Amino acid sequence: MPDLEELKSEVVNSQIWRSIFRGGLWSDTPRDRANHMIGNVWLHIQPAKVRKRALEWTYTWGLGGISFFLFLVLVASGVLLMFYYRPVPGLAFRDIKDLTYAVTLGKFLRNIHRWAAQAMVLIVILHMLRVFLTGGYKRPREFNWCVGVILLTLTLFLSFTGYLLPWDQLALWAVTVGTNMAGATPFLGNAGPFGASLMHMQMNNDIRFVLLGGTTVGANTLVRFYVLHCVAVPLLLGVLIILHFWRVRKDGFSAAPYGDVTEPKLDTWPNLIKREYIAAAACLLVLMVWALLVNAPLDVIANPHATPNPEKAPWYFVGLQEMLVYFDPWIAGVMVPNLIIVGLMAIPFIDPSPKGVGRYAFKERPFANTMFLMGIIMWFCFIFMGEFCRGPNFVWYWPWQSWLMQKPAPPPTWNLFGPTGVGKFPLALGLPALGLPVLAIMFLPKLIQKNLSLAKAALACFAGFVVVAFALRYGAHVPLSQGAWIVFFGTFISFFGVLIPQRHIRGLDWARYLVTMVLVVCTMGLLVKICARLAFNIKYLVTIPSVFLNV
Amino acid sequence: MYRKLFVLFNFALVAVLGCAIWRSSHPMWKVYQRNYYNMAADAMEKQAGEMKDPKAAAVLREKAEELRHTPLQIKQILTVFGGVDRCTTCHVAMDEFVNPTMKNDFTQQPYAAHPLVDGMDINKMHNFQKYGCTVCHQGQGMATTAKDAHGFVDNWQKPLLKGKYIEAACARCHANFEHAKGMEFVALGKKLFYKHGCQGCHAINGVGQTVSVDLGNIADKPLERIEPYNFSLIRINGKPLPKDQWTLQNWIFAHVASDPESFVPNDPLAKYNPEPIAPSGMVNWTANDAAGHRELSEQDAEAITAFLLSLTHEQIPYQYHVAGIGPMPDPDPHFTDPVAHGKYVFEKYGCAACHGLLGAKGRRNFNALGPGQVPLDRYAKLTDPQKIAEMAKGREPTLTQVVGTYDHQELVNKISDGVPETAVARYNPNGPMPPLYMPAWKERGLKGKELNDLATWLLTIGQSNQSQGGF
Repeated sequence: MPDLEELKSEVVNSQIWRSIFRGGLWSDTPRDRANHMIGNVWLHIQPAKVRKRALEWTYTWGLGGISFFLFLVLVASGVLLMFYYRPVPGLAFRDIKDLTYAVTLGKFLRNIHRWAAQAMVLIVILHMLRVFLTGGYKRPREFNWCVGVILLTLTLFLSFTGYLLPWDQLALWAVTVGTNMAGATPFLGNAGPFGASLMHMQMNNDIRFVLLGGTTVGANTLVRFYVLHCVAVPLLLGVLIILHFWRVRKDGFSAAPYGDVTEPKLDTWPNLIKREYIAAAACLLVLMVWALLVNAPLDVIANPHATPNPEKAPWYFVGLQEMLVYFDPWIAGVMVPNLIIVGLMAIPFIDPSPKGVGRYAFKERPFANTMFLMGIIMWFCFIFMGEFCRGPNFVWYWPWQSWLMQKPAPPPTWNLFGPTGVGKFPLALGLPALGLPVLAIMFLPKLIQKNLSLAKAALACFAGFVVVAFALRYGAHVPLSQGAWIVFFGTFISFFGVLIPQRHIRGLDWARYLVTMVLVVCTMGLLVKICARLAFNIKYLVTIPSVFLNV
Repeated sequence: MYRKLFVLFNFALVAVLGCAIWRSSHPMWKVYQRNYYNMAADAMEKQAGEMKDPKAAAVLREKAEELRHTPLQIKQILTVFGGVDRCTTCHVAMDEFVNPTMKNDFTQQPYAAHPLVDGMDINKMHNFQKYGCTVCHQGQGMATTAKDAHGFVDNWQKPLLKGKYIEAACARCHANFEHAKGMEFVALGKKLFYKHGCQGCHAINGVGQTVSVDLGNIADKPLERIEPYNFSLIRINGKPLPKDQWTLQNWIFAHVASDPESFVPNDPLAKYNPEPIAPSGMVNWTANDAAGHRELSEQDAEAITAFLLSLTHEQIPYQYHVAGIGPMPDPDPHFTDPVAHGKYVFEKYGCAACHGLLGAKGRRNFNALGPGQVPLDRYAKLTDPQKIAEMAKGREPTLTQVVGTYDHQELVNKISDGVPETAVARYNPNGPMPPLYMPAWKERGLKGKELNDLATWLLTIGQSNQSQGGF
């Protein structure tokens, strides 16, 4: 019987082995472990040692790593799928059918790709949430947070471009909904403000045309989306991922208080690597079981002449589609998402407080955490409303209501301050009537430099709106059910829009304070408009069509 | 702990991957294909046992053994129409290379060979290796599971044409199907379609009237255009359709085999829309005609459905549009007798759609002023249930009762000018617009001798001078 140890040593010290792996025999010394990380091109993106705290599951939840792992899964499964797929209308759908019915493991592969893409969108959002809650965007990581925001946007765009490729009805119409929003871009879209009038944008030269390669979703769109999906966006994503990782590495792996270097550290190999492996394996396992049990949807072949009812965007954009009910497309489809992206990127620069870095610290950062969580919850609420509460003709159906039940079209809408009706002078009456409360919300928190009791002030607001509701009931015959909407939204907005900022950011310098309040007011404005439409059927609070001001 | 997890997860991953591979490599079609080879080999061996020549028997046995060990594979036919049909993967008997005679004694599907149709061997006329299967049978040719291939699934809009409906496929290419062998059912459908005046409202490729939609490509109608709500209301013989039967075929069938008003009730009370919309204006073909018989039997309805399912704009190369076995259709008949010609014209233009067979029974026309009704004033409420019942009594004129009030020239003028849909007298002025109206026939090619002879014939059917209403 040969001596195994001797054999091992023989192999490891052979010229061939040593030419590939530099380390020599493993003896599990700290030097060995460090060398393992440093001497390996794939592993050395991680430091040789990490802070002990960063290793805890309940700190990172492995979300960043899982995002990247999902990206790798998507690249691998995507490349395999590319072998079978031709981006041509008649053939694309047929190739998907081939994958489903004739290719060995084809259906499994497509399921994995589809579900991994959906999971990645969700996990990346959760990763952002985790980074925010642990203050990971604060100095010196501001720039990396911004890179992360771009990565999130690219992830959504990557998923969206992939949505078209099966060339079924689901794909065609989801992309139609999505790209129609691009047509509403101010200046650059033919249906957007100043697009047609100022920039001479038409159906066949605006930004939507660039995206589609035509005026409707067609063969050119398929090729464009294919190239974007398989080459352009992944490349860009890859480049930015490298930047993101490099910054993570340089700024210290996982958030830790700035400047604190005394914390004990552990060897990355095996402490971090084994956790990463388990996270990836668990993730892959979930994906594979998911792919075994649930098939990726495939509708009938795309037909530009038959619109499904309702037509919906991919789920992660359905929240924006829901916004289309309340706002003009250029606001719902362009301004809102752009404001979200810009707002997210602005966060590190409007929050100068160094508190609460490297841990979940709700009490130390109540304002930031409250506002951010509220935003995330709102985003998912809108997705829930659009996905589960909208039926045929995008009319409101509760999730438990059958779509086979007919529903009356929503009652006719009216404008509060518009060209006709009660508020006939939108410029003279509407702007002051709406502008003053907006300015009040903007400036009030900083102007009241007193320590108010939150509970008492909130109760006072609530009581005030109850009085308003009853006054409207007996003065103007507004039913109490509508009064209840006013009470709820009024209290909510005065609490989150005025009282919370008053309590927490009245000490902020003016520049940061104003940027923050613009974001807060925009978020609250969203809620005001939703309340106005759902409870009072108001189409626009104020409309001045000549300058596309319809809010 | 991590060591345990490492082992556990790795095992689980391998197990799930194995499961996926097993599932991918054990589809049902392999079972069918293997069964077929075994059954065919058994039959051969039995045949060999009955043989007298031992040498020939040995050869046959060897062949059987070979068949038993044929490797399993997905078989596909790349059809001349550009389709991919994998049906022979399970229906192996229809694969010429396995079963050159294209015959066997198996009765059970998917093993049976293609049956003869009226004694004709279809494969000889339409070679399966060339034509494939779905060009006639419909269904999803690329699918390799029975359920998906037969097409009664959510993501396929052209499921199998079952039973006699298959004749719809014949009529898509064979223009002479009215008189061709093996296409009697769809020919009956066409005859009934024209006899009962469907073309009086529905044109086919522009030939016919435009009161309702053109049916020239009705077989291509995407299901997205049909509200699931309407499907859910369909009752055939009192029974609702199961969801996997919400097909175009049943949508058409329901229109002729049940009362269209019942599943296209629309919105006569303006509950869901700003303006009231009358229910479907289509005739209830299951109701009794003037003679007291159900106007179209269920079989008639099936025949008409089969005919309509043949109306497609799908491109079939011209060389496949050839006559079937049988004579070409008769040319337009010639008449010397103006009365006989008038009757022919009445049928040709589909007047029966509204006025009943031979003008004997005016059809319903929701909210049109019916015989004996006094119109409501303009303040009439829409939602009064009794008024709704009254609105439903609206009728098209029964010609036998009203032509007596016209002379020849008046009739000619009436037919030429028609009554536009906005001018149809309503029972409730605030109710929905009646769905049916009289087209202006001078714009639709009915003029000259045809028009004269039609009026002449109409005057012969009138009951003496009764006046029971009119337009």
